[in-house]
Amino acid sequence: MNFIKQLIFRRKIDRDVDDEIREHIAEKAAELEAQGMSPAAALLAARREFGNLALTAEQSREVWHYAPVEELLADLRYALRQLRRAPAFAAAAIATLALGIGANTAVFSVVNAVVLRPLPFPDSGRLISVQARRIEAGTPHPEDLSYPQFFEFRKRNTTLDSLVSYHNTSMALSGAGEAVNVPAQIVSWNLFDALRVQPLAGRAFQPDDEAAASHTVILGYRLWQGKFSADPSIVGRTVSLNREPYTVIGVAPRDFVFPLGNPDVQLWTTLAIDARSNTKEPMTAQAGARLLQAVARLRPGVSIQRATAELDSIEAALGRQDPDNYLQVPSTWTAPAIDSLVGDTRRPILILLGAVGLVLLVACANVANLLLARTAEREREFAVRASIGAGRGRIVRQLLTESFTLALAGSAAGVMLANACVKAVAQLAAGSIPRIEEASVDGHVLAFSIALAFITTVLFSLAPAVRLARMELISPLKEAARGNAAGGGKFRSAVVVFQIALGLVLVSGAGLLASSFVQLMRRDVGFRPGGLLTFSIGLPRSLSHGIAHLAFESRVVDRLRALPGVTDAAVAVPMPLAGDQIMVSFNIEERPSAPSQHPVSDIALVTPDYFRTVGIPLQEGRGFTENDNATSEPVLIVNRAFADKFFPGENAIGKRIEPGATTDDARNGMRQIVGIVGNASQDALSSAPAPIYYYAAKQLGWCCASYVVRTAGSVAALASSLHSVVASIDPSAPVYAVHPMEENLSKAFSGPRFQLLLLGAFAAIALLLSAVGLYGVLAYAVLSRTREIGIRVALGANRAIVLRMVLRQAALLVAAGVAIGALGATAGNRLIATIVYAPAMPQALLLSAASLILVVTAAAAAIVPARRAAAVDPIQALRAE
Amino acid sequence: MMVLRTLQRAPLHGYALAQQIKRFSKDLLQIEEGSLYPALQRMLKDGWLKAHWDVSPSGRRIRVYQVTAAGAKHLDREVSSFERMLEGIRFVLEAEET
Repeated sequence: MNFIKQLIFRRKIDRDVDDEIREHIAEKAAELEAQGMSPAAALLAARREFGNLALTAEQSREVWHYAPVEELLADLRYALRQLRRAPAFAAAAIATLALGIGANTAVFSVVNAVVLRPLPFPDSGRLISVQARRIEAGTPHPEDLSYPQFFEFRKRNTTLDSLVSYHNTSMALSGAGEAVNVPAQIVSWNLFDALRVQPLAGRAFQPDDEAAASHTVILGYRLWQGKFSADPSIVGRTVSLNREPYTVIGVAPRDFVFPLGNPDVQLWTTLAIDARSNTKEPMTAQAGARLLQAVARLRPGVSIQRATAELDSIEAALGRQDPDNYLQVPSTWTAPAIDSLVGDTRRPILILLGAVGLVLLVACANVANLLLARTAEREREFAVRASIGAGRGRIVRQLLTESFTLALAGSAAGVMLANACVKAVAQLAAGSIPRIEEASVDGHVLAFSIALAFITTVLFSLAPAVRLARMELISPLKEAARGNAAGGGKFRSAVVVFQIALGLVLVSGAGLLASSFVQLMRRDVGFRPGGLLTFSIGLPRSLSHGIAHLAFESRVVDRLRALPGVTDAAVAVPMPLAGDQIMVSFNIEERPSAPSQHPVSDIALVTPDYFRTVGIPLQEGRGFTENDNATSEPVLIVNRAFADKFFPGENAIGKRIEPGATTDDARNGMRQIVGIVGNASQDALSSAPAPIYYYAAKQLGWCCASYVVRTAGSVAALASSLHSVVASIDPSAPVYAVHPMEENLSKAFSGPRFQLLLLGAFAAIALLLSAVGLYGVLAYAVLSRTREIGIRVALGANRAIVLRMVLRQAALLVAAGVAIGALGATAGNRLIATIVYAPAMPQALLLSAASLILVVTAAAAAIVPARRAAAVDPIQALRAE
Repeated sequence: MMVLRTLQRAPLHGYALAQQIKRFSKDLLQIEEGSLYPALQRMLKDGWLKAHWDVSPSGRRIRVYQVTAAGAKHLDREVSSFERMLEGIRFVLEAEET
């Protein structure tokens, strides 16, 4: 800190020294005068005695200088002056670095938001997610909990401060303006306690809010602001949810998001709603209904291993009591809460970070090349500086300062670039990567990009600095500054080879993603999504089950059919490609097994017109009819994959299975398979067609169906007329989740598309930079060999020979780069192949295609300098010397 | 060392200090008067001296230098090490004579 004070007091010190010296001379002169000298002679003598006035003053002042800072500032000033004097060089270098650092900063801000940033709750490191561990065919995977299981965990554990259950739902909010459907969560009472969050207003849930009769709700901040105009007296008021009165007991804080990654959830109510569900048994008593996720806070000092061991032992005890429900889930699956949130998205993001790191290396290589060329041009300047006393270290330090100035400028431009496009990047992946919408340039990201500026400085100025340190600094002065490109040329060529290799890695990686994505897009979803519109209607409990519901549904479908352009309409739950799947176990009549050994498959409930509406072909047997109802024989339709998997080599039609799905009208038991339809994907990203069996909607009155409409006209026009159709039947039933089927499909592909677009952009940048690098090296080589080429031409070499000479040099560089790059690309592609959903082209084909792209780009970059070389006029070239 | 020793006897300003040193060294040491100033600044910076502006009896603005405690300590160290060195040299010279 001392030097700062000295910098500030510098002016006073300087003045003191000057005054003092002036007084000294005056005093001496006065003394000499007193001895009889003339004033003029006395002054002269005094000065002579004193010595070099200016130097003394300078040396006295210098004592106070803090050398490193002084020199740094001087270097900085000099660097800025140098860069101003070479604006083309500075612009090229800064733009390249801005591109590299900007891309890295943008990707890092995503990594920061998604992977690194802790969960937004106090002491969030102690939060863990709790699931059951199902072992199927030897491989374990996580599975949701049932209420009885959750209650058991909550009651018996001693290692958790709190254990919270939650699951998705949505609630129709009416009585406050237009009826809307609000995404909601059904949670156990201790949610806010476990997360250590205080409601903004009112109170958190208490244990008695879980009683079946309790109707309490906490509002999200946005809902409170929007629907209730931030009414300060909202707490204690009654609102209508699913047409039942609920008491608002609190408002969540502004930034509160739970579950994380799902900011649309604006209502939280307790599991009381499940305790009064109008199923045969309440949901809270069904051990087979696995629908809960859970988050827990570890007791202080308890490790996740210890908590897991305890939960495992509770689970084992459950398995002994009730093997039918628990034998297939013998233990638990726990993870830090942040891991279970980030989950599978971590790997693709980190691969992208790695890829963008390669882009930065390519950019650094380019700047290193620029800098090398510039250092060669400035050899004379350095020699002059050395000859008037600058140390070699001093000159290298000057060079580093210039480089750092460049890097810092590039970094600043890059951060601006990243800041401008990070939102767009996040938009690309919205929905497929949790928390990505929170990506922004914050302190961490800034620190990262400044660190990048340091690293890049080292990377791209290492070569010129080493070269300078080795160079005979005086020789350029002796020679007439003849182009001295030979030594640097070799190094610059190596840099270009390196760039081309990296370019190949990125281009082939992007090629892998692209070809996989094309496969994904081409994959037959098994029906015709074009012209389909899907939506849901929020209904009260009285209307969402049984006869009343079916009647409501058929009225809606009839009205829809009457709309102009509409050719078909149907009802289904769950809707394909919407991200929902319902898995239900079943028993095969011919091969009965213990309940814990039952096979499991997707199910869906559909109305008779469903298959025709979405375009799933009937392959064998019959489809559903209006006569497949609550009183007729229970039937099922299965898809081809189901028939092949569970009845291989047999005819599935006529076989009977007993599904585990129950309904309150107690029509359980064996159901006959009456038809086989084509394979339609429920999940767009699954590679193999999944087995599924379909119920006739009238035979299993479940709630919450979605509607699907086919129109020959515009889907958007249809969407805008939905509200009035539904309102004409029930004005307080909100229409929500209105999505064209193609939008569902495209949303399902948003993850792979995000990866492809980003990696593709990186590959394009790398390709461009490599081309520029190659061009630079060749152009420089041609320039410095102008004399040689001139002599060759003068001696009879024709244009073609010269052209070939330059192109040969380019070809050598590209060939070396491609050879090295092929190795890297093979390794890189093996990594990338782990994140794709569809198989890509074979490796060899990918590599050849990528190499071809590089060779063509390189040829384009090489042709200009080659032709310039061929056009060298020998007379001009020799005269120029 | 000379400067510190001189100033330890009495605080002085630059010109007087230069004259003093000249006198003490009986004009044996021919130093430029100016070279005193960088040395003074160095010692100010190291905290061995402190300085203040004053007015001399002849009505001149002078900057008077004074040895600090740290300066005195440093002088002691310097002097003793210098004496040790002289002694060492003497030993060597005497040893050669015998």
